[in-house]
Amino acid sequence: MIEEINELVKEGLLKEVGTIKPNRELYEFSHERIREIFKQLLERLGEKGFYLATIVGTDILKDKKIRLDYYVVVLPEETTIVLRTYVDRDNPEINSILDLIPAALAPECEIHDLLGVVFKGNPALRRPFFVPEELVEKGIYPLRKDARV
Amino acid sequence: MEKENKSDGKAKIIRYTPWLVHFNTGACNGCDIEVLAALTPFYDVERFGIKLAPSIRHGDILLVTGAVTKKAGERLKRLYEQMPGPKFVIAVGTCACTGGVFAKSYSVYAGADKVVPVDMYIPGCPPRPEAIIDGIAKLLKKLEQS
Amino acid sequence: MAIDKVIEVPYALEIPVGPQHPALHEPILLKAYADGEEVVKVEVHTGYNHRGIEKLAEKNSFYRDIFIVSRVCGICNGVHANCFVRAVEQILGIEPSPRAKYLRVLAMELERMHSHMLINAVMAEIIGFDSLFMNIMRDREYIMKSKEIVTGNRVSADYMIFGGVRRDLSSDKIDKLRKLIDRVIPRIKYYKKLFMEDETILKRLVDVGVVKPSEATLYGLLGPVARASGVKIDARASDKYDAYGEIPFNVIVRNECDAWARMMVRWDEALESAKIIKYVLDHLPQDGKAVPDERRLPRRFPPGEAYTRVEAPRGELIYYVMSDGKPMPYRVKIRTPSVHNILNTAKFYIGYSIADLPVILTSWDPCISCMERLTIIDLRTGERRKVPMKELAGGGKKWVNPRYSL
Repeated sequence: MIEEINELVKEGLLKEVGTIKPNRELYEFSHERIREIFKQLLERLGEKGFYLATIVGTDILKDKKIRLDYYVVVLPEETTIVLRTYVDRDNPEINSILDLIPAALAPECEIHDLLGVVFKGNPALRRPFFVPEELVEKGIYPLRKDARV
Repeated sequence: MEKENKSDGKAKIIRYTPWLVHFNTGACNGCDIEVLAALTPFYDVERFGIKLAPSIRHGDILLVTGAVTKKAGERLKRLYEQMPGPKFVIAVGTCACTGGVFAKSYSVYAGADKVVPVDMYIPGCPPRPEAIIDGIAKLLKKLEQS
Repeated sequence: MAIDKVIEVPYALEIPVGPQHPALHEPILLKAYADGEEVVKVEVHTGYNHRGIEKLAEKNSFYRDIFIVSRVCGICNGVHANCFVRAVEQILGIEPSPRAKYLRVLAMELERMHSHMLINAVMAEIIGFDSLFMNIMRDREYIMKSKEIVTGNRVSADYMIFGGVRRDLSSDKIDKLRKLIDRVIPRIKYYKKLFMEDETILKRLVDVGVVKPSEATLYGLLGPVARASGVKIDARASDKYDAYGEIPFNVIVRNECDAWARMMVRWDEALESAKIIKYVLDHLPQDGKAVPDERRLPRRFPPGEAYTRVEAPRGELIYYVMSDGKPMPYRVKIRTPSVHNILNTAKFYIGYSIADLPVILTSWDPCISCMERLTIIDLRTGERRKVPMKELAGGGKKWVNPRYSL
């Protein structure tokens, strides 16, 4: 357990919910507070103290949600922790953390193009990025579960 | 894909020193490194007078590797149009022949023959450098007879 | 940067590099904007290689997915398959035998060696040192031969399967491998010496494409790029997957932060890999079957999720697999190191000359097929603040013959 993360849990920003195999600690947070959390991480761990490994977006069709997992690797022990949040499937919006952490560029653009999540404040979002134009014209997000591609 | 008549004798011109142009249309790199291996000293395709051309405008043979993605497909067509005739296309690897494991994907046209006429198919995932050299040599033989 | 200088130079040159590229053999379009000789902005245009693999993986069964994911990238196919297989093994709760774990390490380290030799050879070609390129490629064939002996094919071998590997190694093959590796090690040492001493190489690589340590973490750079900037990250050492917990090895870190340091890290890692391979050949455990009986492998996959990391030749490779109890995975997420190493690095070209551009690009070890299975990005963010006047100057974009390529 990383002390700085523990502090955030005590302050109520994160909520401990278990683990993902193998031994990646899982925390949940509400999607409005994303920028606050990453600002705290930058402050407490420092620029050299962690990096954002990736963001995984998953379409949870039965709950009408899109799940976003922010995978953060804390240095120097390289402990991977998972910060999980949910956004509404019909109106998927979350604040971008691009200006805080430039590494978010690739995953944010990718999730925008494949799942249609809008990262507010990211100027690089654009369709079509790589999804073929015919799909973009039809408004299809290929990784959504109800997309027929 | 239909191809314009190439057996007009012009094809014979290039049979001694055909210049290769290599284009990756969405390959996994496996075929690309094997093409590279075929060009380097251990296999050495240059002993047949074959050389890698610096630009598509100098090329005689276009080596296509990989399943043709929709975005690269347009490029492939453009490259083919820019090649001076007589021109030939070799599809290297299963993906370039038929689409391979990617054939059903939403962003792939499948084989290279969906976009440009293909003269020679070299299957394999990836084909060994020997197979690539064999394919090119067979194409040259075909030119001799044309 | 003096602003008045920009006014003297009325326009910036737009130079497309690629996607049909004579040297790199990979489809990527770098749009570089140059002011005189100096690069002021780079846009990375990709998408020529997007094959929709994550969706394909969702539509096929777990067993078929092993073959699909190993075709994400041909150079590091074993690593991709290993990462996926281990994620599914976590969900299933099975573990391969010690012998299988050692054999997996062997296959992956051979891959790392030939990948590092390849990119160093390409770097030699890019800087115009063609004879060195040919020499390295020739010695690389020993590694390809070793890989063929171990896995059965030179490149894509589909060596990994749930619960083990698909081919065992007999003792006469081990002797053959020893001989091949012993032949390569002095050659690698010689090339490393060459990269340290040769004046042309030093002149082209030293102090080019500098990445500061704090930038490396902030931009999420991985693998040899981060390690050459003094950031000690290595999934092999931290996650201790497969047999890496039992094998002694060093994590190579350098502090020069430039393109030269990145190439040197790769040479040192290749030597380190050779050491690991020799250790594996000497200590290959005899207990347990390396090849599982494929008929007895589980057909039902319980619900669950797993997140595995592997140190691929280019850096940390990530697979996230989620199962909902059906024969097909609910979600497969692949994050390859090249995504970060190429897309997030447009900033680091700025200020260097046009001739340095391919050098810097090669020093990331671009693996386009890895990157583009899912991503394409326009890298316009962030750069505007750095070179505002030059941006303005580039607004009028004079069109240059697009056929002119570097």
